[in-house]
Amino acid sequence: MDSLHAIGFYVSAAISLGGGLLVAFLPGRGARGFALAATGIGIAGLYVSLSAGFSGLVALVCFAGCGLLLAAPAYRVMDVAVAGVWRQLGAIAAAGLLALLCYAAWRGDFVHATFFGGAINSASVGRLFFTRDSLATEAVGALILVALVGATAAWRLRDRGR
Amino acid sequence: MSAGLVSVLFVAAGLVAVGAFISAWKKDLTAALAGLPLMFAGAGVAFAGASRFATPGGPPAFGQEVAALVAVAALALVALAVGIAGRGTSR
Repeated sequence: MDSLHAIGFYVSAAISLGGGLLVAFLPGRGARGFALAATGIGIAGLYVSLSAGFSGLVALVCFAGCGLLLAAPAYRVMDVAVAGVWRQLGAIAAAGLLALLCYAAWRGDFVHATFFGGAINSASVGRLFFTRDSLATEAVGALILVALVGATAAWRLRDRGR
Repeated sequence: MSAGLVSVLFVAAGLVAVGAFISAWKKDLTAALAGLPLMFAGAGVAFAGASRFATPGGPPAFGQEVAALVAVAALALVALAVGIAGRGTSR
């Protein structure tokens, strides 16, 4: 990776991680949705610097969608009936997970290879989607269908309950 | 300045950990959902990095494909969960 791509990579990493922390600490849902969309910009930058521009575009759209969903007026609060001690244990477990993953990345013995892909390479991705990994593509398609039907059913049930 | 696979995996680990932290930190379950796309993005970045740096014989676009799939899956799961949470109280 040359210097320009490396600078882009580190700047994008800072934006995505900083945006993620803002999502954790900002109080309002609108601000959190905006921070999530900003995180998406950072993640798209990460993908672009890794020569995965097509994934960057998809991630940008998906994060913008997630931000809109979490900032929309239809947002409803669901409080967790779990004690604060358990939530604090969960936060400590997240820190432990970070330490474990960082140790694995640091100690891993990786193979170095020459990269032959292009910057966007959407044709190659499309070929993989519809030939070699068509089952995975259909599984994600089914997941989207179930998610949309489930979301619609949940919203209809809510309206009926009023 | 350069970035290799170890740097990519560090950033991916950070994204997964920040996502897990958001999910654990937020008292409101709907707000905790925001951690889900970050954790999925961490996995996607790790796949894209492995595909970019460490696959001598494999298809170079494989990691890119998985990254796109997990991003779409995260959006679908957030939509479903926000729909289910729609029966709660507005704040």
